[in-house]
Amino acid sequence: MDSEDDMHDANDVESQDDFYSGDTGVASDYDDGGGYEEEEEDDGDYCFGDHESDDSEDITSHRQQQNYTILGEVDICQRQDDDISMVSTVLSISRVGASILLRHYNWSVSKVHDAWFADEESVRRTVGLLEKPVNRPLNAGELTCGICFENYPRNRMNSASCGHQFCNACWRGYIGTSINDGPGCLMLRCPDPSCGAAIGQDMINLLATDEDKEKYNRYLLRSYIEDNKKTKWCPAPGCEFAVEFAAGDGSYDVSCTCSYNFCWNCTEEAHRPVDCSTVSKWILKNSAESENMNWILANSKPCPKCKRPIEKNQGCMHITCSPPCKFEFCWLCLGAWSDHGERTGGFYSCNRYETAKQEGVYDEAERRREMAKNSLERYTHYYERWATNQASRQKALSDLQQMQTVQLEKLSDKQSQPESQLKFITEAWLQIVECRRVLKWTYAYGYYLPEHETAKKQFFEYLQGEAEAGLERLHKCAEKELQVFLDAETPSKDFNEFRTKLAGLTSVTRNYFENLVRALENGLEDVNQGSCSKTPGGKSGKNKGGKTKDGGGSKSGLDDPSCWSCRCSPANPRSKKTCGQCNGHRP
Amino acid sequence: MANSNLPRRIIKETQRLLSEPAPGISASPSEDNMRYFNVMILGPTQSPYEGGVFKLELFLPEEYPMAAPKVRFLTKIYHPNIDKLGRICLDILKDKWSPALQIRTVLLSIQALLSAPNPDDPLSDNIAKHWKTNEAEAVETAKEWTRLYASGA
Ligand SMILES: [Zn+2]
Ligand SMILES: [Zn+2]
Ligand SMILES: [Zn+2]
Ligand SMILES: [Zn+2]
Ligand SMILES: [Zn+2]
Ligand SMILES: [Zn+2]
Ligand SMILES: [Zn+2]
Repeated sequence: MDSEDDMHDANDVESQDDFYSGDTGVASDYDDGGGYEEEEEDDGDYCFGDHESDDSEDITSHRQQQNYTILGEVDICQRQDDDISMVSTVLSISRVGASILLRHYNWSVSKVHDAWFADEESVRRTVGLLEKPVNRPLNAGELTCGICFENYPRNRMNSASCGHQFCNACWRGYIGTSINDGPGCLMLRCPDPSCGAAIGQDMINLLATDEDKEKYNRYLLRSYIEDNKKTKWCPAPGCEFAVEFAAGDGSYDVSCTCSYNFCWNCTEEAHRPVDCSTVSKWILKNSAESENMNWILANSKPCPKCKRPIEKNQGCMHITCSPPCKFEFCWLCLGAWSDHGERTGGFYSCNRYETAKQEGVYDEAERRREMAKNSLERYTHYYERWATNQASRQKALSDLQQMQTVQLEKLSDKQSQPESQLKFITEAWLQIVECRRVLKWTYAYGYYLPEHETAKKQFFEYLQGEAEAGLERLHKCAEKELQVFLDAETPSKDFNEFRTKLAGLTSVTRNYFENLVRALENGLEDVNQGSCSKTPGGKSGKNKGGKTKDGGGSKSGLDDPSCWSCRCSPANPRSKKTCGQCNGHRP
Repeated sequence: MANSNLPRRIIKETQRLLSEPAPGISASPSEDNMRYFNVMILGPTQSPYEGGVFKLELFLPEEYPMAAPKVRFLTKIYHPNIDKLGRICLDILKDKWSPALQIRTVLLSIQALLSAPNPDDPLSDNIAKHWKTNEAEAVETAKEWTRLYASGA
């Protein structure tokens, strides 16, 4: 990247706007400045319109209570074994019988117990666990097999608990056919059509081929996960871990040992802060619109200045056209990068679809207005950003992998740093991946935000814009600034400074996104409550009023030009001089 | 076909079908394929199919008796569980099949199905609907079809 680019970045950390400056003592500013009751808030806090102090219990439970367990194959076998032992002991029946019962009651020990003690006889009948044989063949030396019609001596025949005798070869065929038909083999019954006796694993082990025994074991293990309401397989392709989920009021997010994050409830990829029904609506919408969307997915766009096609190959949205043009622009809105995150010239961010539309600033918007109806255009806006963040996330994932497998070692060499000292880079990339995911879903969130809730929409777009800007900063630092140290021939004295910067950005961004997720999950209640002129104890009784922190609360406090006299500032774009909520003025 | 290594079971079943046929049912293997049977079922008394002679084909697949025989009506029949290709909706021909069942039991079950049509588990939606909305009329149609197509000429 060119040097201008880097200069631009280098100043970023210092000149960050207040929402991201939570690295040093911001919380204490509140203490003496605003005098709000602060609770043990150790993480940096940057004027985010939450009401943490009211919800601190919720929050800790959110963060600490993990209501699921990841199970490997060994754990699964162990649990299955324990459950079988338990039922076998309590009901005084064989382990094979216990296993058949558990399968029938979807591996719920308590359901087995309840049913059994309510009516043992009827349970035995439905499941096929007979107490006495129904068929006692005469004590002849030879018997005729009811399947192949051949005669065999007794010792070459077998029966389940019912006593219906078939020859071993026919049993093998009968069991094998059933096993190859699928997991229904776990409910196998005696071949005699009048008989419902269950065929359990003891018969399988005695009579099936080794290959079939192995398959049966797989089905039995799979059933323990798939038929049990409390467990599911991790949906990641090729992953063999399962998850046991305990009902609770925490989130549905599950983070598998394979590093895939998914939603327990709908098994889609993790989608906080958006709820499951919004996700399924969105996915359905995408598949319906995908025909129209193809043109958007094209990976190249013309440079807004010189019109040469530019292919985006880095994860960050800040694009610099190749020399001689060198125009710096935003991949999303094709606007000049200098308009982004500038303190002067009004608040402008590429997420501000409405603004962009009203002002008609970019050609593409013009073109789209012509070629599509308003609704498609609106959808397109959100979809494109959703998809771009998704792609960015994939890119970040592969960058992370590349980092872990190759780059860190190289960096360790070049900068004479032990690899243990480079963890902050991995952490930064993990954070980028997570933030891209959250940001992606905020676009589905935004799409379904009711148009008429103007204040909410405005607030949302503001928060999203800040999130986006902050993430861009982090992404750029981890991508482009790191490259300098990778390319360097000798260790650089600036490396420690870089470490501090990147680690700081990581932590600030993490906090911001955690707050963002919480605020969106809360349905942006702060806005509804009209926090500036409100009476304490609104409808939820949770928000005690006026808790929203002063949006301008930067280090310099009230002198900061972005600081509002009222407390509803997070909802106000900085370009405005009058608060849209209470008509208060900026000092 | 490979009639030479026909399983003992099929030979025994065939012998018994020929020597002690079930009432109203005849089944005889084709000369060139011992796994293919020509079947005739007489329409049961007191049913709309009474007086009819219904031809069917029955084939024993390689996996028999682990897999069910394949059976199909060749004579046109108006019945809610039999479609216009003659395919039959009967549980023992599908998931309720057991290797301890036989050709004889299958054919007896089909005969019973003619006595007791089950429009709640239909194979032919139109006929089943007809049966449920106006049974008397549907029965008349079944009788009509029996006269037209199964009069055993
Ligand atoms: Zn039995
Ligand atoms: Zn046998
Ligand atoms: Zn996994
Ligand atoms: Zn979900
Ligand atoms: Zn250019
Ligand atoms: Zn932009
Ligand atoms: Zn205000």
